Amino acid sequence: MSGTSKKKKIIAGVLLASLLLGISTVAYAKTYLPTGRDTKLPPDKVTYDIVKLDAYQLLYETDTMRYYYREDRDIIAIEDKRSGYVWKTGADVAFSADLNAAVNAAATPEEKAAVAEPKEASMNSTYVGIANSLVTVEYYESDTIKNISSASKDGVSSQLVTLNDNPATRRLDVDFSAINLQMKVYITFLEDSIRYEIPYEEITGEGKKMLASVLLTPFLGASGGEAAYWDSETGAYGETEKKYMAPGYVFVPDGCGGLIRFADNAVSFTEYIGDVYGPDLSTETYYTSSLNDAVPLKNPVMPVFGIAHGDSQAAFVAYAESGAEYMEIIVRPDENKKVKYTWGYPRFEYNLSYFQVYNKQGAGYFSMMAEPQHADVSMTYTFLEGDGSDGKSFAADYTGMAAAYRAHLIEQGILEPIGGVGEGQDIPLRLDFIMADAKSGLLGNEQVVVTTVDGVDEILSAITQGGIKNVNAGLIGWQKNGETLTRPDKVKYSGKIGSSGAFRDLLAKYEKQGIDISYSREMATINREMTGYYNTAAKHVNTWYVEVDESMILPQNVPVATFGRATPRKVAAWTKTLADKLKKTSSSITLDGISNILTGTYERDGVDFSITEAIALYQDTLAGIHSDLKLNLVNPNMYLWKYTDRYLQMPVGTSQYVFETDTVPFLQLVLHGTMEMYAPYSNFSFYAQSDILKMIDYNMSPSFILSEEPSYYLADTVSSDLYSTEFAQYEALIDTIYGTVNAVLSNVSGFEWTDRTVLMDGVILNTYKKGQETRYVVINYTDNQISWQGNEIGGLSAEVISSGEGVR
Amino acid sequence: MKKQRRKIQIALLFAALLFAIHPAGALLASQATSYTYTLDDNDDFVRTQDAYLPERTITDLGLKTPQDLFVDKANMLYIADSGNRRIVKYDIYEGQVAAVLSHDGFTNPKGIFVTEEGDIYVADAGAKTVFRFSEDFALKEAFEKPDTPLFSDTNFEPNKIAVDKSGNMYIIGEGVYSGVIQLSHTGDFLGYFTVNKSKVNFKEALQRLIFSREQLENMLDVVPTTFSNVFLDGQGIVYTTTMGDFRNAVKKHNTSGGNMFKDTVYSISANIADIYVDAQGIIYSCDTSGMVDVHSPSGELIFSFGSNQSNMDVAGLYSSLPSVAVDVDGNVWTVDGDKGYLTSFRPTDYAQMVYEAMALYEQGLYEESMDKWNEVLRLNQMSVLAHDGVGKAYFHAGLYAEAMEHFKVAGNRSYYSEAFWEVRNEKIQKVLPVAFILVVVLFIAMKVISLLDRKKRRIKHAKEAFSQQIAKLPVLRDLQLAKKISRSPSNMYYEIRRHRMGSVWGATAIYAIFFVVYMLYQTKKGFIYQYVAVEDMDIGGIVVGFFVLLLLFIFCNWLVTSITDGDGTLAQVYMIPAYGSLPLLVMLALITVCSYGMTYNESFLLTIMLIVGAVWSIILIFLGFLTVHDYSGKETVKSIILTVIFMIIAAVMVLIVMIMCEDLYEFLYTIGQEVLRNVWNQ
Repeated sequence: MSGTSKKKKIIAGVLLASLLLGISTVAYAKTYLPTGRDTKLPPDKVTYDIVKLDAYQLLYETDTMRYYYREDRDIIAIEDKRSGYVWKTGADVAFSADLNAAVNAAATPEEKAAVAEPKEASMNSTYVGIANSLVTVEYYESDTIKNISSASKDGVSSQLVTLNDNPATRRLDVDFSAINLQMKVYITFLEDSIRYEIPYEEITGEGKKMLASVLLTPFLGASGGEAAYWDSETGAYGETEKKYMAPGYVFVPDGCGGLIRFADNAVSFTEYIGDVYGPDLSTETYYTSSLNDAVPLKNPVMPVFGIAHGDSQAAFVAYAESGAEYMEIIVRPDENKKVKYTWGYPRFEYNLSYFQVYNKQGAGYFSMMAEPQHADVSMTYTFLEGDGSDGKSFAADYTGMAAAYRAHLIEQGILEPIGGVGEGQDIPLRLDFIMADAKSGLLGNEQVVVTTVDGVDEILSAITQGGIKNVNAGLIGWQKNGETLTRPDKVKYSGKIGSSGAFRDLLAKYEKQGIDISYSREMATINREMTGYYNTAAKHVNTWYVEVDESMILPQNVPVATFGRATPRKVAAWTKTLADKLKKTSSSITLDGISNILTGTYERDGVDFSITEAIALYQDTLAGIHSDLKLNLVNPNMYLWKYTDRYLQMPVGTSQYVFETDTVPFLQLVLHGTMEMYAPYSNFSFYAQSDILKMIDYNMSPSFILSEEPSYYLADTVSSDLYSTEFAQYEALIDTIYGTVNAVLSNVSGFEWTDRTVLMDGVILNTYKKGQETRYVVINYTDNQISWQGNEIGGLSAEVISSGEGVR
Repeated sequence: MKKQRRKIQIALLFAALLFAIHPAGALLASQATSYTYTLDDNDDFVRTQDAYLPERTITDLGLKTPQDLFVDKANMLYIADSGNRRIVKYDIYEGQVAAVLSHDGFTNPKGIFVTEEGDIYVADAGAKTVFRFSEDFALKEAFEKPDTPLFSDTNFEPNKIAVDKSGNMYIIGEGVYSGVIQLSHTGDFLGYFTVNKSKVNFKEALQRLIFSREQLENMLDVVPTTFSNVFLDGQGIVYTTTMGDFRNAVKKHNTSGGNMFKDTVYSISANIADIYVDAQGIIYSCDTSGMVDVHSPSGELIFSFGSNQSNMDVAGLYSSLPSVAVDVDGNVWTVDGDKGYLTSFRPTDYAQMVYEAMALYEQGLYEESMDKWNEVLRLNQMSVLAHDGVGKAYFHAGLYAEAMEHFKVAGNRSYYSEAFWEVRNEKIQKVLPVAFILVVVLFIAMKVISLLDRKKRRIKHAKEAFSQQIAKLPVLRDLQLAKKISRSPSNMYYEIRRHRMGSVWGATAIYAIFFVVYMLYQTKKGFIYQYVAVEDMDIGGIVVGFFVLLLLFIFCNWLVTSITDGDGTLAQVYMIPAYGSLPLLVMLALITVCSYGMTYNESFLLTIMLIVGAVWSIILIFLGFLTVHDYSGKETVKSIILTVIFMIIAAVMVLIVMIMCEDLYEFLYTIGQEVLRNVWNQ
C-alpha cells in the first residue's frame, strides 16, 4: 500500500470516527502529536477473503470455531465462524527447494503455475520451518544456540493422535530425531480457545539436557512478509513483492501494557523480550550484575500477550496457566534479523548456559545446568471477534484481551470484584512515610531519622483536617537504623523514631478514624551489613552468592552498595515472622520484594529451591497472612493477586522500546474493581498535569512518599533517590492532585470499566457501567478545548459525562 | 569524577546484563529510560529528579549514519544524513519531512548550520567543500580549500561548521590540530579562531627526558587535543567542544578566542561530540556514546542524562550519539548514529523551573528567582544548584542566616563564609560592648584580689598546692612534663635520657589524647574548614594510618639508632614523639575550636597556628632524638632519613607478604574448589 493512500485511509477513519462519536476540536488547535506514551487511534480495518483450506482436514467444530489441521506443515487453522476470519498457527509457506522441485517436475506451464506457490523471500529453510511450526525448540550445540522446528525440513517427524476418542483432545508427538529429543504436545480445542500443554516429564531423549527453550506457534498472527510470485508469462518467479500487511498490533504486558503496531520498518530493530515476573538472578549467565545509568526495563507482571488484526475485527489473547515463571514473551518487529514479518510468541526456558567462576578474580568457564528447569507448559489462546458491542463477546482489541484475561482470572478465583463500593465514594489516597535510613558515621553507621511517630501523627492530622478522609499509610524504615541495615524480620524500635508503645498508639488512634497504617518492608533484598549470607542468601547456579552492584546509581559514601537476594525459604520465613509479630497492633502490612522478586537458589548438586517452589511458598505464606491482615503489595506479580488488597506503585508506562507505538492500561483494565490501584509516587516525575490525567485515565489513586524533615538529610543514604519528600513542600500538591483525580473518579466508584477508546489523538473516552447506568470519562491530553456530544472539555482536563449531560 | 570512569568500565563489562535486575529503590515506575545525574557538593555525579523524558521517536526517515542536527527559527530540524548524502528537513510541529536537500557534489555531508537569514551551510568532509544554499535549496556558493600559502599544507576536510552574522565561517576540519579554521564570507582564510594547547603529562615528560630519539619517534605524536564541534549562538558567541578530557571539554569563547569559563567545566565523559546553545544561553552537549549534558550559561553542569546501550532500541538509550539540537520549545533532539532514528526529549516541569530560576537570577531579579528556586526545591530538596540559588538570593536580600543554611547544603563554602562574616559581624557588634565591660571588670577584680592577697598569700599558696597535687596525678603529670619540654627541651629530654622522668604509660596517654584531638581535628571542624564530611571519609584508613605510621616510625628509628650507636632505648624512642607533640596537639585543638568562629578571611591565622604547632613539635622531637641518642645535629638528621628509608622498605615488604598470602589463599581456595567439584561430579 502506498504512503498516500494509507494516509488518506487514516484521515477517512478519523473523520468517520469523529462523526460517529460527535467529537470536534473547538477553535484553532496545535496538532497533538502522540508519542509512544499515548494510545493512538485504532488500526485500519483488515481486509480478508475467504481462505481456502483445501490442504487442511477439519478436526473439530464448536458453535464459534472450526479447527483444521495441515499435516505436512504442522499447522492448525482456526476459523472463527462469527466472522469467517481464519487464524493459522504457522505462516503456511513452502520450502523454496520444494517449490523448485515441484516446478521443475511439472510438465506444462499450466501445471507449473498450479504448483508454484508464492516463494517466501528473505527466509531460509530454517526460518520457513520456524514460520510453519507448531513448536520450535532451541538447543545448545557447542556453546551456541541452534533451533529446530516441528515443521523443519529434516531431522524431525510428528504425528497427531486423538486422545480418548474425543476429537477435541489431541496430542502432537514430535520426534526431533536430529537431536534425539521427543516431546508430547497436548492440544485441547475449546469453545473459542485452544490450549497447548507440554508436560516436562513427557519430554524425553538424550537431547533433553541440551534443550534451551520451546517456542509455541511463533507465527500465529504474524503480519507482513515478502514473496516472489509465479509469472506465467516468463515462466519463472518474478521480483519479490511485499505481501499484504494486516493492520494491527501485538499487545505485550510491558509495564502497564504496550502495543507494537505492525509496520514496514526502515530500521532493523532488536526484539522485545519480556521476561515474565522478572529475571531469576540465580540463573542469569553471570552471578554478579550491576545497575547503571539506564532505568531497568519493566518486567511483565502477568503471563499474557495478544495480537489484534484490524480495527475490532479479529484478535487473540494468549496466557500461560502453568510454566509462566520460565516464560518470555518475545516480539520480533519487521526487519528484526532481516525477517519481513512482525511476529510474537511465548518462549519457555529450560537449560541455560552460565559462567562457572572458580576464583575470586572471577576466572572461569561456561557451563550448563546438569538438569534443565522443570517448566510444565500450559498456554491458552482465546480468539476474539467484533467490537464487543453485543455485550456477549469481548472486543477484538486490547480492551477485549484485558476483559477476557480478567474473566479467566475471576473464573480461576484469582481475582474477585470488591463489592459494596458506593457510588460517589471518595477514592483512596496512599501516603507512605520514610522514617529512617543509615549513613556512614565516625563510629560505624549512623541512623538518619527524617520522620518520627509524632511526625506521622501530625501529618495525618493535617491531611484529615484538610478534608481527605479515605487515606491509608505505610511506614518505611520504621525499624531501628532504618530499612537498609536491618534484617526484615527484626522488630526493634528506636527511641528516636518512636517507641513500640508510640507506634501502637499511633496505629490504634488512626484505626478508630478508619485510617489504616501499616508497617512496610522489603523482604527479598539483603546485604552483608544487614545479615550474614550463610544459609540466608540465594546462590547462583555456579554456587556463588547472587550479587547486584548498585554503586553506579548510589552516592559514593553510602554504607552499602552491593546487594544480594535472600533465599525463598528465608523470604517466606521472615515475612511470616514479621507478620506474626505485627498483627497484634496492625490490621494490614505492606510488602515489597516478596511481591515482585523471584530468585531461586542452587547448591552443588543442582537446584535447592526453584522459582516454581518459591511461587507456591509465597502463595502459601501470603494466604496465611491474608487471613489476619490486609495486604498492600508493591507491584505484585500475578500469582499473588489473589491476596492483594492494594496494588502499590502500579506501572504507568512501558519500557519505551522505540517500536512500542502505544501505551495502554491493560493491567489496570484487568485489575480495576478487584483491588485498590495506586499510581507511582507523585513526588518523582509523576506530578505534571498530564500525569494527573493519566491517573484519571488509568483509574488509579494517587500516592505520595512523605517525611517530616527535608529529604536532603537522606543524601548520604541508600534512600538518596527520594529527592523530595518533606510534607511542608507537598501539602498543597497533595490537595490539588487528590482533589483533581477524586473529582472525576469518585463519580465512577463502584462502576465497572468496560471500554476505552481513542476519540482523537490525545483524547480518550473511558466507559463505565453499573447496572443500566453508563458514565463516560473524557480525558483531554491536548492543549485544546474539545467538544464531545455537546460537552466542552477544556485543554489538559478530564470530565465525567453521564447520559449526555455533564455530571459536574 | 572517579565514579564516572568506573561507570564506563562497568557499563562495558555488564552491557549485556544491565536490564536483568531489580533496583532496590522506590523509583521502579520512572517514566524516564535513563537516570538524570547532576553534581553533588563534592563535584561527584549523583542521581537527581528526572530532567528530561523521552518524547518522540521517529524511525521511518530511513537515515543512514546521520552526523549532525540543527533547528532553525521556524522549528525545522535539519539532519545531515551523511550515509544517504543528503540533508533532510523535518517539520517538528507537523511531524513529517518537509523537504530533502540533495546535491550532486555531496559525498559525505557531516555538518550543518542554518543562519538567521535561512542560508544553509553544509560541511562536506568527503567533498572537501563547504556548500552554501539558499532557503529554497539553490546552491549559492561552494567554498573549497583556501589557496593562501598559510593554509597550503593543511587538510581541508570540513566536518562541522558554524557561521556568524557577517558570514564568517568557523570550521572543524578532519585532522586539523591547529584549531578552529576561520574563513571569511568570501572563503578567505582568516586564521585559526582558537587553539587547544598541547598538554604533556608527567609520564610523557619523563619519556621525553629518558627516551632515545628512536623511541621518541615511535611514540605517538603529542598533538593538541582536537576540537570536535563548534556552535554559534544567537548572540554570536562561539562555543566549541574538545575530545580527550572530561574537564573543560566545553568552551565558550570571547571574540579573541579565549575561554570565558573561569571554573572547571565538567562533562560526563571525555568524548564530547556536539554542542548546542538555546536562546537563554543554556548549553547542551552530547558524548559520542549516548549521554547528553546540560550546562548553565556560566558553565555549571546542571543535568546529564541518556545512556549507551548497544542495540537496545529503547528511546533515549543509544548505540552512538553524534549530535544534539534543541528546538524552539526547549525540546532536545538527538539522533542515533548507528540506528538512524531520532529521539526527542521533553524537559520536565522540574527542568523548566531550574532554567526559569537561573534566568531570573541572571537578570538580577533575586526575589523572583528565590521564589522559583524554592519551587525547584519543592521537587528536589537535594538539588545543590537550587540550594545554591536560594542561598545567593537570600544573600542578596541580606538574609544571611537563611543563606548560610542553604550554602551549607549546597557545599558552597566561600559564599557560606561571606554570609557567616555578616552574621558574625552583627553578633560581634551586639556582644562587643558587654564583652569589653566584662573583661575590664574581670581585670580589675583580679588586680584587687592579688593586691589583697599580697600579704597573706593564701590564694597563691593554694594555687601552688593545687599544681603540686596535679603534678602527682598520672596523666596530668605527663602533660606537665610535656609542657616543660616545650619550654626547655634539651634539659627535659636529658631527664628522660637519664630515666628520671617520663614513662611509657604517660607517653601512651599522650598518644591517646593526641589521637582523640587529631580525630576531632579531622572530622569536627566548622563547616567552612571541614572540607570532607565524615560520611565521605575513610575513617578506618585514617585510624590505621595514624597508628601504623607512628609505630613504624618508632620501631624503625629504634632499629636505625641501635645500629648507629644511639643511646636511646625503645621505651625512650617511644616517649620522645609523645612528649614533643604537645604544641601540635594544642594547636590542633585550638584550630578545631577556632574553625567555628572564623571565615575564609582569617584562614591565614589557622594556617599560621598549624605551622607554628607543627614546626615547634618537629623541633622538639628532633632535639629529643638528639639528646636521648646523644647525637650531633648531623647524626640526628642522618638517623631520621634512614628511619624514613627503613619505613618505606618495611612497608613494601609488608605489602609483598600480604599479596603473597592472598595469592596463596587464592591458590589453595581454587584447588579446594577443584577438588570438591571433582569429588562431587564422581
